[in-house]
Amino acid sequence: MTDGGLDATDPRTLPGFFDALADGDLLGGVCADCGQVLLPPRPACYACGSHDVDVEPQSREGRVFSYTEIHAAPPAFAADAPYTVAVVELADGGRLLGRVTADAADVAIGDPVELTVREPTAAEREVALEYETGWPVHVFEPR
Amino acid sequence: MPEPVIASVGASPLGRTDLPGRDLFSVALAEAFDGLPDPADIVEAVYVGNQSESYEHQIMHGTLLAEWAGLRHVPAERVEGCAAAGALALRHAVKDVRNGDHEAVLACGVEKMSSAGTSGATDALSAAFDRAIEQRSGVTAPSQYALLARRYLHETDATEADLAEIAVKNHANAARNPRAQFPKEIDVTTVLESDPVASPLKLYDCAPVGDGAAAVLVTTPELAADLDRPQVRIAGSGASANNIAVAERDMTTIAGARIAAETAYEEAGIGAEDVDIAEVHDAFTVCEALLAEAAGFAPAGTGYQSYRAPAERADGWTNVQLSPSGGLKARGHPIGATGLLQALEAYEQLTGAAGDRAVEGAETALLLNEGGVADAVTVGHVVTTAEAP
Ligand SMILES: [Zn+2]
Repeated sequence: MTDGGLDATDPRTLPGFFDALADGDLLGGVCADCGQVLLPPRPACYACGSHDVDVEPQSREGRVFSYTEIHAAPPAFAADAPYTVAVVELADGGRLLGRVTADAADVAIGDPVELTVREPTAAEREVALEYETGWPVHVFEPR
Repeated sequence: MPEPVIASVGASPLGRTDLPGRDLFSVALAEAFDGLPDPADIVEAVYVGNQSESYEHQIMHGTLLAEWAGLRHVPAERVEGCAAAGALALRHAVKDVRNGDHEAVLACGVEKMSSAGTSGATDALSAAFDRAIEQRSGVTAPSQYALLARRYLHETDATEADLAEIAVKNHANAARNPRAQFPKEIDVTTVLESDPVASPLKLYDCAPVGDGAAAVLVTTPELAADLDRPQVRIAGSGASANNIAVAERDMTTIAGARIAAETAYEEAGIGAEDVDIAEVHDAFTVCEALLAEAAGFAPAGTGYQSYRAPAERADGWTNVQLSPSGGLKARGHPIGATGLLQALEAYEQLTGAAGDRAVEGAETALLLNEGGVADAVTVGHVVTTAEAP
């Protein structure tokens, strides 16, 4: 193991990942031993156990792998309902969950989407933990 | 190595109750110890399955429930693994007895889900999902399973009507279970026309919010005999964690559940085809389909046929009967107690105490209890009255 010295600027920590995302850079961990993509990056590969994880930019384009329309939302997001959430398979092989800026009726498995980043809304800031308040929110837009 | 047995079981009423969590536990304990010496005369350790402190602003359930059972100065702890907490508590008891550490361990579980209404339960359950990506995207328990369901419907011949039939079957089973939260039959139309929760899942695809507690006394065979109790061997126990985020898993091959089940089978010296009944984690209808495949009862892509009579299922299916209690869907799903309610059902089925819902000739049961979405953590147990192979 060689993870000593991790700090909040390292993209293998959440603050490091979200700082880069705020600048529009989607960073993934890529296992140097087996190639598994890890989103967000982290010190260890779940597929093979290796701690030799590189950080590499990931394509923001992908395709819908599965999706749902949420009618009964958590209290913090009740005003947004119904909204669409999808698991997206990105072009570089990783998978990431996020909101989709489209009605579920207009979404299908396999649809092309692109990840974009926005500032959190006032309502989202309201329920954020102190260390999360500056983190951007990623969403997928149909393309 | 002593082989642990279940020597007694008990449960509180399930559903919306006026009792706080510790009092629900007292009711469950009283049933489990009816006709037995006091817990203080037998029990050497306590494990409590409990999901969330947000329902009653209470942790320290090990200490609290041990005290309410009349036990002090025993090791006692709360076990957390969202909805798998109950089976994790049972697994700890199994290991303690196997290891020879204790002759009698109380595995129990409790959840007071109704204390903060449906929105409070939705919020408490969302804590089981990855905070950084999933929670901040607004996911819920139903939406996480809806992602699995959408993908399952895409990859297999299953339809929303097939998933509805699973709910219909489990309600029919619950109608014969006096412990069930919803002991009433429903039809497919009721499921298909119920309110959308997270498409393609509708209200009647989802297990209900409810209160409840359960207690399972795990002992050595010798102590169970001394207590003059019917005993059921806990012949196998397996557990497996998987990724926290659903996106990073294979969403239709529930690998953790397969490992948990196969580990339990291997310890018990049996195969999937030897299982007569299974209580699987049907928190949502699609779960029963996915878990039937993971447990080795059904070929890939055919688990949704669990509602059909064995002769009507695809080639390669076993004759297992799933969720004879009515399952989480209709028996009820008080989160931390659920894994123990599964054990209770198996005990009653295998000791001739299941009344009208008894599955004739059942000797061996598989229990599969999940926490987080799908196999974030899964615990499997084989319990049986058959002779050891
Ligand atoms: Zn790797």
